[in-house]
Amino acid sequence: MTARADAAEAAHREAAVQPGLEPEDAALVARLVPPVPSPYHRLNPLTKAAIATAGSLAAIVVGGYPVPLLVIVAALVSAEIAGLLGRLVRVTVAVGLALAISIVLVSTLTRAGETVLFVIGPFDVTAEGVDFAAQTLLKVFALSLSIGLFTLTTHPRALVADLERRGVSSRFAFVALATIEAVPAMVRRAGVIAEAQRARGLDSEGGVVARARGLLPLVGPVLISAVTEVEQRSLALEARAFSRPGRRDLLWAMPDRGAERALRWIVGGVLLAVVLGHLGGLV
Amino acid sequence: MDWVRQQFDTRTIVLIPIAIAINIVLGQTIAAVLKIPVYLDSIGTVLVGALAGPIPGLLTGLLTNVLWTYVLPAPFNSTIAAPFAIVAAEIGLLAGLFARYGFFRSRPNTPWPTLLAGGTAVAAIFIIIGYFGFVPFYAGTDFTFFGDTAEASPFFVAMGYLVAIGFIAAVVGLGVVLLVRRDVGIAYASVAGLITGIVSAIISAPIAAVVFGGVTGSGVDLLTAAFQQAGSDLQTAVLQQGLISDPIDKTVTFIVVFLILQTLSRRFVARFPQGERIVGLEGAEEDVAGIPSA
Repeated sequence: MTARADAAEAAHREAAVQPGLEPEDAALVARLVPPVPSPYHRLNPLTKAAIATAGSLAAIVVGGYPVPLLVIVAALVSAEIAGLLGRLVRVTVAVGLALAISIVLVSTLTRAGETVLFVIGPFDVTAEGVDFAAQTLLKVFALSLSIGLFTLTTHPRALVADLERRGVSSRFAFVALATIEAVPAMVRRAGVIAEAQRARGLDSEGGVVARARGLLPLVGPVLISAVTEVEQRSLALEARAFSRPGRRDLLWAMPDRGAERALRWIVGGVLLAVVLGHLGGLV
Repeated sequence: MDWVRQQFDTRTIVLIPIAIAINIVLGQTIAAVLKIPVYLDSIGTVLVGALAGPIPGLLTGLLTNVLWTYVLPAPFNSTIAAPFAIVAAEIGLLAGLFARYGFFRSRPNTPWPTLLAGGTAVAAIFIIIGYFGFVPFYAGTDFTFFGDTAEASPFFVAMGYLVAIGFIAAVVGLGVVLLVRRDVGIAYASVAGLITGIVSAIISAPIAAVVFGGVTGSGVDLLTAAFQQAGSDLQTAVLQQGLISDPIDKTVTFIVVFLILQTLSRRFVARFPQGERIVGLEGAEEDVAGIPSA
């Protein structure tokens, strides 16, 4: 099975390369295409985005119990197909734990309601509060799982290349990709500056006041150095014809199939039906 | 449309990802480390709005929240950011408009009478907005502001005093900064921040209430819980919490951006589409050597 999976992945990556290249060049570009180890990974980025959007919108707009639970189950099943179930659950719990605790505390303890279950100090825990907390938790986890599945199975470059292939301006593509690279780069730069300042005697382990005082010598250089980089970068881009109007030829972009196009329309239709049904009082 | 395209030169397009990264890194750090009721995730948005214009500022805010939720991978991802994209967009838009009308311009060496007038005007604006804009929202609950405190719960009396002290500290702090730097431009920036904060609170309250039940997982949830406990319904509680956190947050953000703009070199700032209004070179379209600036 592994050999067949590898062959399918290799075939998909070759299909992503722009036609008309020499075989050696095509093989080289195929290596640049991000890995797609499972059938779910091999879906077109727009299809995965449509699924994630439909799932999260349905869960948020409709609320209640059945729809979010359905979305959660669908997301977990898809994660299993993608071979990412453990990772997705770990990431969702890590990201959503603080939010979940806040929701449970705020909603159960302070929300007004009639059927009091029990009393803790000055707070009444009501059945309405627990019900509201449960529904909100389901909404949040449905949202988080859908979007987490999308970000784990879609490489940012693949998404941006696909959008650019469909006609989104190359400047927007640049902004999206540059942002994705800039965030970890800024965190790394902050680390370097923190060490430099520590070598100059910045107190980084004191109490709250000491740390607050140390915030400016840390944040200041990060901000200023990041912003002044803009001048050099824009000159470099101008030298590479960045402001030339018109579209660019992409060396690779994820392929799209008729079946997936149909799937996207179906997903959109189901979402519309669910939302209208909810508004009309059916769901 | 030409006005819009003018705001999007190469420098702007390069600045936007860096500004988004600033937003996300700072916002994530503050939310994770300091459990204080401010967000500080709009510094980049306001910076782009001030330097490039209202439309790039709007786009930066929008993209920050959308990319933060939908595109950035695990450690930098946030579940709650996307629905608030419209609030972030509004912040960028207002920042651009305020910058267009000179609210970020440094006015150094202001003569003392003007300085005093500026400080008094800001204090007056804060107090008037505070009294007429805030207190009516809180009058329905036990929150009393120097009123009859005999019946109110001690928590809210303490909150009332804390907010009053916060207000006074802010006004005094502003006065000190005005005195030290002799730059009444800070007063303009803080008024712009206050107005933006109020607008943001009003727009974000219904979003928070509907999408997440009023909870965002950050330090502000304590405030929301307190207001709900005092008897407000969800919508009102979220609005009350917003009207405390957002103006503080946006005023601090606008002042920080004002200080950043002063720290950057004038040559660098002046080359951005709205840079000349910030540096104060309105009407000067060529630089000294007679070469038009990029």
